[in-house]
Amino acid sequence: MIAKRRHHPASILFKYGLLVRNLFFLFLILFIFNRTDPSTIITYGRYAFLAYLAYSIVSTLLTWLTSSYALDAERFHLYNGIFNKTERTIPFAKVQNINRHTSFFHKVLGLTSIRFETATAGEEASVKFDVLTKKGAARIEEIVEAKRKPEVREETEIGAKEDDAPSAEIPLAKPKAPARTIHFRPTTRELVKASFTSFSFLLLVPLLGSLYYNISDFINLEDRVDGLVGDVMSSGWIIAATVLVILLASLAFGIFQTFRKYGKYEIASDDKRIYIQKGILSETSFSIAKDRVQAIEVNQSFIKRLLGLAEVKLISAGSLSLGEDNLDISSLYPFLPKAKAYAIVSELLPSYTIQEEMERLPRRSLWLRMLKPSWLWIIVTALLVFFKPDFFRIEQTWWIASALLLVLIIMSRVLDFLHTRFCLNGQLIQFKTGGFTTSLFVTKREKVIEVKVTQNGLQRLFGLRSLETVTRAKPVHHSYLTDAPETLASDFHQWYRERTNEIELEPVE
Amino acid sequence: MNDWNLTEQLAPKAVPYWRMYELVTNIISALVLGVLFFLDWRFDWYTWIGWVLIGIAVLFLLSVIWSIISPPLLYKSWRYDLDAEFLYLQFGIWERTEQVIPMSKIQAVAMKQGPIMRKYGLASLSVDTMGSNHAIPALPKNIAEQLRERIAQFAKIKEVEQ
Repeated sequence: MIAKRRHHPASILFKYGLLVRNLFFLFLILFIFNRTDPSTIITYGRYAFLAYLAYSIVSTLLTWLTSSYALDAERFHLYNGIFNKTERTIPFAKVQNINRHTSFFHKVLGLTSIRFETATAGEEASVKFDVLTKKGAARIEEIVEAKRKPEVREETEIGAKEDDAPSAEIPLAKPKAPARTIHFRPTTRELVKASFTSFSFLLLVPLLGSLYYNISDFINLEDRVDGLVGDVMSSGWIIAATVLVILLASLAFGIFQTFRKYGKYEIASDDKRIYIQKGILSETSFSIAKDRVQAIEVNQSFIKRLLGLAEVKLISAGSLSLGEDNLDISSLYPFLPKAKAYAIVSELLPSYTIQEEMERLPRRSLWLRMLKPSWLWIIVTALLVFFKPDFFRIEQTWWIASALLLVLIIMSRVLDFLHTRFCLNGQLIQFKTGGFTTSLFVTKREKVIEVKVTQNGLQRLFGLRSLETVTRAKPVHHSYLTDAPETLASDFHQWYRERTNEIELEPVE
Repeated sequence: MNDWNLTEQLAPKAVPYWRMYELVTNIISALVLGVLFFLDWRFDWYTWIGWVLIGIAVLFLLSVIWSIISPPLLYKSWRYDLDAEFLYLQFGIWERTEQVIPMSKIQAVAMKQGPIMRKYGLASLSVDTMGSNHAIPALPKNIAEQLRERIAQFAKIKEVEQ
């Protein structure tokens, strides 16, 4: 329990820091670059700037003075509002996942920020503490988690039911200390490998490009660069050397980027929760109770499939972003070898034993896929025929482009047919789909909040149907299996209806 | 398909209701379109606007024909059922859709009645879940009321949130 108190005073400092950052360029424009400009717009702009600055300084202070929080045994109480007072109460039981972010500035001051995400829609979905001490964050986290302890029973109970053992009373209060098991930490070799597959070295080019344009806004670089380019192009040796330097620089940059992002990656768990941590300069961590994992998704891009790597994502009903930037923290290390990824999943979530042997679609669904009109191709071809663009002065561009697109679409359909697999595996459902990039979606029956089976006219001719499951996520996650055999559709209905065996109902008051 | 013999149908009056509804909306659309054609002729709008209007008129005519044919087909395609655990829906003329919604995931039920529905003694029932919302259109009013009560009763029981 925490008695009603204000947020950490350093939060004012952070808000002011943000204010300075946001207003910096405006300040430069109004007061430095145009300091001799006597026009009315600039003059009034300056007044408005100062008024806004004064307002922000005062309102930040007042906001801090009037907002406070408290925690009792079961819920958060948040108080805020300068004139209109609001009091929000959020039960800990609604917390889906906990995101923690320590930016570089937090780190310098020994502080951190923490967000408790609920599944509610809208602005007020999360309880956020933008600035607080590490100790304070740990204490709040502890209180929130303590409440959730009794619910952990669920996992073991279901396991017991499956084995038909009537003794559901598996000792849940294991006196084991909440020791975390570390499941994965990338080695330097793995990081180097990751930096090649992530293609982050390609980022250097657009980064330099945008830097160039930003600078050339202020200083006239173009003439100098034109001269430089002319000099470089004059000799084959210099061209080769330049290309080499650029390549090496991008490579170094890619490795640096990967180390920065995934350097201190760590996947850990105790008997209740999963913890994912990453980042060197700024640290981000994500934690979710095992029974709150709504589903898992194994994604493989074309390159990753060639190298046998996979990315595993945990799907939560709460938000996974921190402010504006989505940090993608719900993913277990994105460059895991596939077998290792599956092994970690079964270590973290024993009830998710992914069955790799899955059924394929019948041959006739390939024919159906081929028959389906591709709206994309039709529209693009229509546009090409209409405009007849000549790219690089090739008049035939329109039909070449159209043919290329058609080939790509057919290839992706064939690949999709070849990759699509499905499996009803006890209480798990596994759908694997995708052409160039594949995605395997695995969830438990009890987490599926709705199912849908559809059949259109063409599918009726071929005796095929499409299945859809809906699971909670932010936003709600729909997963599809198109053109599955009719027998699977009825099995699917039957399978779903048996969820009644597993769900745990709330007592009715 | 085994286990999927839903018996409950919509109110037979749904067909005349849909026809009436379509008639009213078609008349309104026709009026709007007529006014646009008149303005086009009166104020000499660009030629391409005339072509667009003709295109819209053709689509409108097709939709009028469809609105005459479709109500009995839609009525025939609709089935629903419910038990203590699930709500089952089945519908669709071109694309047949079957849905299973657990009662414990239903967040809200509402009965809705527009002016034309009232004339035919009908009501529609809409059901909101965490993921989406669904509606059973055109039920007899008393049945809609009963269903609302039953679903509300069954949906009162919630799963432990996970």
